[in-house]
Amino acid sequence: MNALVEVVDLTYRYPDGTPALAGVSFSVEEGDRVAILGPIGAGKSTLLLHLNGLLLPQAGRVIVAGIEVTRQTCKEVRKSVGLVFQDPDDQLFLPTLLEDVSFGPLNEGRSAAEAQRQAQAVLGDLGLAGNEGRAAHHLSGGQKRLAALATVLVSRPRVLVLDEPTGNLDAEGRAKVAQLLRHRQETLVVATHDLEVARAVCGRCLVLDRGRVVASGSASEMLADAALLERHRLHVPLEDGTQPDVTGSRIHGF
Amino acid sequence: MSFHHLDQYAHVESPITSTPPVVRLLATVTLALGVSTLPLGAWIQIALFAAVVALVAAAARVPATVLLIRVAGPLGFVVLASVALLFLVPGETAFRLGPLRVSDAGLLRFGSAMSRSAVALGAAVLLVSTTSFPDLVNALRQLRLPRAVTTSLGLAYRLLYILSDEIERIERAARSRGARPVSGRRRKLLVGIAAAALTRSLARGERTYRAMLARGYHGEMHSLHSKRVDLRSALLLTALILITAATTLSAYWTG
Repeated sequence: MNALVEVVDLTYRYPDGTPALAGVSFSVEEGDRVAILGPIGAGKSTLLLHLNGLLLPQAGRVIVAGIEVTRQTCKEVRKSVGLVFQDPDDQLFLPTLLEDVSFGPLNEGRSAAEAQRQAQAVLGDLGLAGNEGRAAHHLSGGQKRLAALATVLVSRPRVLVLDEPTGNLDAEGRAKVAQLLRHRQETLVVATHDLEVARAVCGRCLVLDRGRVVASGSASEMLADAALLERHRLHVPLEDGTQPDVTGSRIHGF
Repeated sequence: MSFHHLDQYAHVESPITSTPPVVRLLATVTLALGVSTLPLGAWIQIALFAAVVALVAAAARVPATVLLIRVAGPLGFVVLASVALLFLVPGETAFRLGPLRVSDAGLLRFGSAMSRSAVALGAAVLLVSTTSFPDLVNALRQLRLPRAVTTSLGLAYRLLYILSDEIERIERAARSRGARPVSGRRRKLLVGIAAAALTRSLARGERTYRAMLARGYHGEMHSLHSKRVDLRSALLLTALILITAATTLSAYWTG
């Protein structure tokens, strides 16, 4: 079975020697929607940076769309993986929204006219039409989240990797982002400690704590295990959410 | 992010913003060179160059007050640098300021320096007001400036935004905890804010760079608005260069 994303025994230490990931292994198939749950400092963001080749494995392997992530292949890998960062302000760095969303297509070698057309289409799809000429700091928190998502969706990645997509959002913003993600066709890997959003969006979960995968399984099983969640400093959802319509989701090899 | 307002007229549709940025840049350099090489006391030619700047400002829909305010800041440094001319250049006494004697030759040099600088700064302010920074960097690239320089400029621009934002946030947090804008501890507070902002913006800069890499950045900034130099712009620029040269030379012939 060929997984779209395969992480094998991934180990990473920060420059000061602190272990961030200690032998993490899992795989994600095309069409999967996987939530990576864990408390703050569990290593979620560090793991996601490896999926995009922004960090390279110190030990172990990361394979995306059949390509092992190395210094030589990371540019190729980034074409398949759209990474949305935790803080939208990190991702929106150009003077206008249109320029920000066009940044990826221009780097892929598209003409200015084509990049602009694609950017406008994505902004329209996400309900941000009319904001093309606005600066990121004039957008609301929810709009910034959507804009950061637009900067990645415009390049049509096969895997959408999101780091805390509902962080700093109010209830309405969280619901909007969750609804949007539920209707995306791409393979999803979502790092979050927002269990309600994980349940609404993802069919599978894995729990990461202190750089290790400590549990994995279907979202319904995992999120019902209050003892497991509490043990790993995750808040139990207060009310039942609708299960996403995800079929064939698999996470293997922990 | 107050820096964004520097180029707030870049997206206003006007004959100036429809001109390719590289032409705007060359026209600004031409005007600045022309006015700064005028001989002392070439008031008519200085007035002509000032009229050109005013006309361009009107065409670009940059209000006169905005232009004057933006020129006033850097002009203050020119005043500081050249005020000594009033007193140090030998010549007939024009008037006295207390114990200090202002000479007529000093007055002429100071007036020339101020007026020429004001016109050159006006042209530069118009350029940055009507041209987004990415477009300016692209224009410099078109002029074959080394890629290392243009890329560094682009990154520095983003870091300025980041730094400005961080300082605003930290200062707001300090004020919310009782720090008064004017107080004896203000200087100490500002040093603390600057240090915290620097530390935070280093981390922010690294994250932004990662976000750029994640979207295919490989050392080359592309702009959505890059425009080729068309025949009309090329003719306009040629005409401006010729007029500037003629105006400057006329000052030497008539002077």
